[in-house]
Amino acid sequence: MNNIKHRISIASILLLALSFVSCNIVNIEDRPDPNNTALQTVVENPSPSEINTLITGTESSLRTDLRIYHINTGMIGREMYRFLAAEPRNTQVLLGGGSSELDAGSFYTTRPWAAFYTSIRNANILIESVKTITDNNAVSEAQRNGIFGFAKTIKAYQYLMALTMHNENGIRQQDQSDFFSTGPLMSKADSYQLIADLLDEAATHLSNAGSEFSFPLSDGFADFNSPSTFLEFNQALRARVAVYRGNFDAALGFVNNSFVDASGDLENGVYHIFSTATNDVTNPLFSNPQSGAGDSYVVHPSFVADAESGDNRVVGNKAILRVDDNGDVNTASLDGLSSDYGLFVYKTQTAPMPIIRNAELLLIRAEANIHGSSPDLSAAEDDINVIRNAAGLADYSGPQTQQALEDEMLRQRRYELFFEGHRWVDMRRYDRLDELPLDRAGDNVWESFPIPESENL
Amino acid sequence: MNKKVIQYAFMIVLLFSTHAAVAQFTVTGTVTDAESEEPLIGVNIFHKASQKGTTTNIDGEFSLELPGDTAVLRVTYVGYITQKVEVSSSNNQLSISLAPDIANLEEVVVTGLASTVKRENLANAVTSVSAEELVGASPKQTLSSTLYGKIPGANVSSNSGAPGGGISVKLRGVTTINGSSEPLYIVDGVYLNNDAIANGSNAVTEAAAGGSSSNQDNPVNRVADLNPDEIKSIEVLKGASAAAIYGQRASGGVVIITTKRGSGGKAQFSATQSIGFTTIQKKLGQRQFTEATADSAFGPKGKALFNEAKANDRFLDYEELMYGQEGVLSKTQVSSSFGNESTSIYVSGMLQNDEGIIETTGYEKQSIRANLDHQFTEKFNVSVSSNYIHSESRRGLTGNDNTGTTFGVSMVATPNFVDLRPQNGVYPAHPFNTANQLQTRDLFSNVEDVNRILTSVKAEYDILQADGNYLTLQFQGGVDFFSQNNKLIFPSDLQFERISAQPGTLVETNTNNLNTNTSLMLVHTYSLSEDMTLVSQGGYTSFNNDQNTISTVGRGILGTQTNVDQTVSITNNQNRVFQRDRGFFIQEELNYDDTYIATVGLRGDKSDRNGAVNKIFYYPKASFAWNISNMDFWDGDGPIDNLKFRTAYGQTGNLSTFGAKFTSLGPSNIGGLGGILITNTRGTDDIQPERQKELEAGFDISAWEGTANLSVTLYQKNISELLLQRELEPSTGFSFESFNGGGLRNRGIEASLDLTPVRSNNLNWNSTFNFSKNVSEVTDLSVPAFDVGGFGTSLGVYRIEEGKSATQIVGIDPVKDSNGNFSGEITTKKLGDGEPDFQLSWYNQLNILKNVDFSFMLHWKKGGDVINLTELLSDLNGTTADYDDTDLTFPDFVNEAGGITDDTKNGVKRASLLGVTTRQFVQDGSYLRMREIGLYYNVPSKTLEGISSVLRGIRFGVSATNLFTISPYRSYDPEVSNFGNQPIAQGIEVTPYPSTKQYYFHFNIDF
Repeated sequence: MNNIKHRISIASILLLALSFVSCNIVNIEDRPDPNNTALQTVVENPSPSEINTLITGTESSLRTDLRIYHINTGMIGREMYRFLAAEPRNTQVLLGGGSSELDAGSFYTTRPWAAFYTSIRNANILIESVKTITDNNAVSEAQRNGIFGFAKTIKAYQYLMALTMHNENGIRQQDQSDFFSTGPLMSKADSYQLIADLLDEAATHLSNAGSEFSFPLSDGFADFNSPSTFLEFNQALRARVAVYRGNFDAALGFVNNSFVDASGDLENGVYHIFSTATNDVTNPLFSNPQSGAGDSYVVHPSFVADAESGDNRVVGNKAILRVDDNGDVNTASLDGLSSDYGLFVYKTQTAPMPIIRNAELLLIRAEANIHGSSPDLSAAEDDINVIRNAAGLADYSGPQTQQALEDEMLRQRRYELFFEGHRWVDMRRYDRLDELPLDRAGDNVWESFPIPESENL
Repeated sequence: MNKKVIQYAFMIVLLFSTHAAVAQFTVTGTVTDAESEEPLIGVNIFHKASQKGTTTNIDGEFSLELPGDTAVLRVTYVGYITQKVEVSSSNNQLSISLAPDIANLEEVVVTGLASTVKRENLANAVTSVSAEELVGASPKQTLSSTLYGKIPGANVSSNSGAPGGGISVKLRGVTTINGSSEPLYIVDGVYLNNDAIANGSNAVTEAAAGGSSSNQDNPVNRVADLNPDEIKSIEVLKGASAAAIYGQRASGGVVIITTKRGSGGKAQFSATQSIGFTTIQKKLGQRQFTEATADSAFGPKGKALFNEAKANDRFLDYEELMYGQEGVLSKTQVSSSFGNESTSIYVSGMLQNDEGIIETTGYEKQSIRANLDHQFTEKFNVSVSSNYIHSESRRGLTGNDNTGTTFGVSMVATPNFVDLRPQNGVYPAHPFNTANQLQTRDLFSNVEDVNRILTSVKAEYDILQADGNYLTLQFQGGVDFFSQNNKLIFPSDLQFERISAQPGTLVETNTNNLNTNTSLMLVHTYSLSEDMTLVSQGGYTSFNNDQNTISTVGRGILGTQTNVDQTVSITNNQNRVFQRDRGFFIQEELNYDDTYIATVGLRGDKSDRNGAVNKIFYYPKASFAWNISNMDFWDGDGPIDNLKFRTAYGQTGNLSTFGAKFTSLGPSNIGGLGGILITNTRGTDDIQPERQKELEAGFDISAWEGTANLSVTLYQKNISELLLQRELEPSTGFSFESFNGGGLRNRGIEASLDLTPVRSNNLNWNSTFNFSKNVSEVTDLSVPAFDVGGFGTSLGVYRIEEGKSATQIVGIDPVKDSNGNFSGEITTKKLGDGEPDFQLSWYNQLNILKNVDFSFMLHWKKGGDVINLTELLSDLNGTTADYDDTDLTFPDFVNEAGGITDDTKNGVKRASLLGVTTRQFVQDGSYLRMREIGLYYNVPSKTLEGISSVLRGIRFGVSATNLFTISPYRSYDPEVSNFGNQPIAQGIEVTPYPSTKQYYFHFNIDF
């Protein structure tokens, strides 16, 4: 009997302990992420200041992995070499060394792609968040249009960057409202259509956005931070898309709606800016032109060799002769490649990086005038001469033929827009990739990056 | 715990002595050690039927009054084999000699939160490592490194040779893909934090800027802080079947550490001093250049420098300059034990100061411990353990980078004809690299400073002691607090800082971590009949963790200032982690005459790491052991003393990593405006723990008086609902998400053979073989194959793929056509496996002429591939030692694909095959290593008595760790991990801190 009693009392103590476990004292609080902003808080009726942080985040995100994008385009376009002893894929795979192939799983493919789509997602979150704002007094109709105009222009720009890399392989359209979905792979033509449509929709929004944005943009948009001026930026991108598609007549219209200005500063335009402030980034392509060969950015020898004499954009400007302490030429060599010139496009670590600028617009106008349905070669020559003169070169004196001016236009794009992500794209759209110099036996020039492995296509 | 057993025995005697019996007789006798024939004091003599017992006195004598005419007495004593003795009223004068328990069958093993089991009765293959085995033949720098080869089923692997630790311990194969694979460490009831916190060197090395975002800062996992010399024993629960009672944190196994405690009585002191030195284990050598090869590898400048060096006959051995230091090692350990009848105290202090093989690197540690036990009343006792540790490690700057700044990457870019040595204090710029490694080594600093306090309290109250009914209430609480400071100073004079826009970089990272845990338990022991005992237990446990890391990177140092605010620009980062777990457990154990031992138990756990924070996940267990040799029919006449079959089943969980359930936007500012940007990892609302189900079965045989013991265990563990990180289609805007899915299986065998071939007065030889083999397979994967570590397919990656080994290494390789020629296609395929085929260790202890101890351990790891990228980087720089040799050959179709022939130089071959095949990087990591070897002399007690009567012992000797290694691997050491402790992708080498060996002289005195 005693034993049974004990068993009972022990069982009751155990039961007590069990009930202790399940009672409120030991309930666990479900706490949110202590380190970051939870998605739910911004997608459900956000405050105007939350909207502004989303906009700033979207602008800021445009800079993610731009370094890799520019190394990709700069290497394949034979503008420069990225020497990094610890990362042999730069000098092997990007230049098509030996029998290597561009890898769908390596960083040069996956990281820029992911960066573009992260910006697009942030812009989509922004659009969907604004839609949930119920109070029209908090954000007016015009202000909404301003936000949508911004978001869609940025989305189009990021799709265009992705398409530039992946080219014939196409891109995917992200699902705007289902944050975790994406669309089918689109052909190159359909992708361009998507980009053009987005820019056009954005233009409509911007036209109905009143006179001021409700949100701040960084100094990179210093002259383009109102609906009307942002529209000029939108039209500039639209012009770029048009020439990429070969729609030269349309391009002429768009470029003239943009901020193109033959008498303006060639550097005028929209930029990514950089700073050393908290949670900001510095220009990832700034590098000392004299830095050790094992970690350096150097100019492709052909850029200096092919330059017109007197061109002030080359030696001493974007290409700096590498010298050692004794003043001797300090050739940088790696993996069978070498160069005497350090790359010096960005002179400080906070130097801004252009998204699109006046010089490109003038050259787009020239291109449209060369290849439009009613070519205006002298107008093209005028724009080209603006570029030439600014570079310390005399007016164009070659033949006034479409072919010769096309060559000159591409040449000026090469030198003026050096290492800004254009050379490879230009040579590709004019089917001239075979004109790019090969440095080693077995090298070749890639036409398109593969679609990242993780897209599961 | 033994003390408790003795107390129980006393109680029993007291309780039952009042019962009168009709017939009774008195037994008297003496108990002696079977070998030395010396009397044994305090031996338990127990008559189970009447529950009567006594203990022997100081002369080994006892006297016991028994009912009836005959009885069977049980004679038990710690460290000796239990004996059953038949007595009767006519046979009542006994002379019992107890045999030492060589096989440790009587050892008490901690197996649960509140319970212990005699090894003889264990249903699991629990490995115990005693203090003596732990310190072994030669001291190790950290706790983890003492475990090498001592636990069958454990894969212990060092991440690099850097001083101060960084060692991964995996029990029974791959237990997770993305969770933590490290075991749960419990030190005297404290749930130890074993995080590896990055030091922040990535701000300069940018190692994570390329293809991989994983931490490559070569961090130390914090179990390294423990002082091995303070540990009394370690119990290792290797899988779910043994560790189920620990629930959701036990999937990696549980390592239960018990530190030394005081013994009552007169104060005893012990002091040990070790001094020694450390050197590089293996040098790789350097390429010997000619004018032509210098020219082709380094251009005209290389040629000029080569000729200059040749003219001056000044070729330098950079391995000697960089890794050639004979670092001095010193360790001082003093301890004392004292107390009285109710209180015992153990105090210990340790000073360790080790240099590394790279100048300026090293490891210093100070530890003090005080353990106190006090018996307040017969029913109530309290144990307190406390430990303060300070450690400082200077680990240099090694491993992968993307900036050419680490020592290793600088080294591979350094041919022997350049001179980087300082001239009048000025370091020349490295002509072929961004950093002069000699300058970086001498001027930069990377210091990790840790202050840590571990405290625990255990209180036990005996609620009930009557009629074979014992109820005990136990409370345990533990606190583990540490503060870790990492300070990196890259002065503005460094070659790579000089050319920076903001010369000079300071990194300061501070982490505070607090772990607390409590448990409240009831244990009830109940004798149903004289042969049957039931032990019931249940309790509640809680665990809290809070960690806060603040990291500041300052760029542009003002002069020679070292405060982060003395810079031009500052980047801050803060990361907080928390965890709240609550759980309960119940367990029932039935012991029938030490013959059948059955246990069932259940653990319930919840945690805020799970999506549903208050959902309870249940983890059941059951085990059964059958001691055939304790059955009546077993006459014990044969050579086999003990034979036991056992089987056990259990489940455990593994919690998701922090943040897996959050979808968040992180800060992303531009131009002074604050912005937020969606992070690339999508949260999973319903994330839950992984579940491991393990079944093990085995047998233990002890034969020839315990001089031969064999233990064999087979296990299978299935892990389901794996915490997988699936790569999302990045065009969604998210690159990753965690989810529960898929399955993984490990099957393995562990065997331990313990022999005492010779046991005589002049020679005592104990020899132990530990064997283990594990085979894993991904049985189910609901996502496409994915990579879990490495630098992309062409450089070799660990790939998780259904139906394949979880540790397979995949790379690219040319395809052969039907004629055996290169088909023009390059394919992706398995080229290796990180898991060893098997591991075998052989530990020998010899006691020669009583006073000389000689011991050594050989450790053989067969198989287990490693991705050697150090060689690749050396090849690309043209500095590999065997660059100009041609002995390395590849199949013809591979040669064809790479455009090489058998006569091509090795270095050119390997570099030419980059992007064609990965097979040149995936190398066999087998090794045979002399882990430890030591020779000691114990001064005979007679000599000691001649010196001083207070001396109890003097011992001195010499020892070495990692004395030699034989391996086909073509770099420093196949034991390496660029990414630190990884569940799977452990063996990837990128220019690590080379592995070291140590030589010691020891002196120990006890008084």
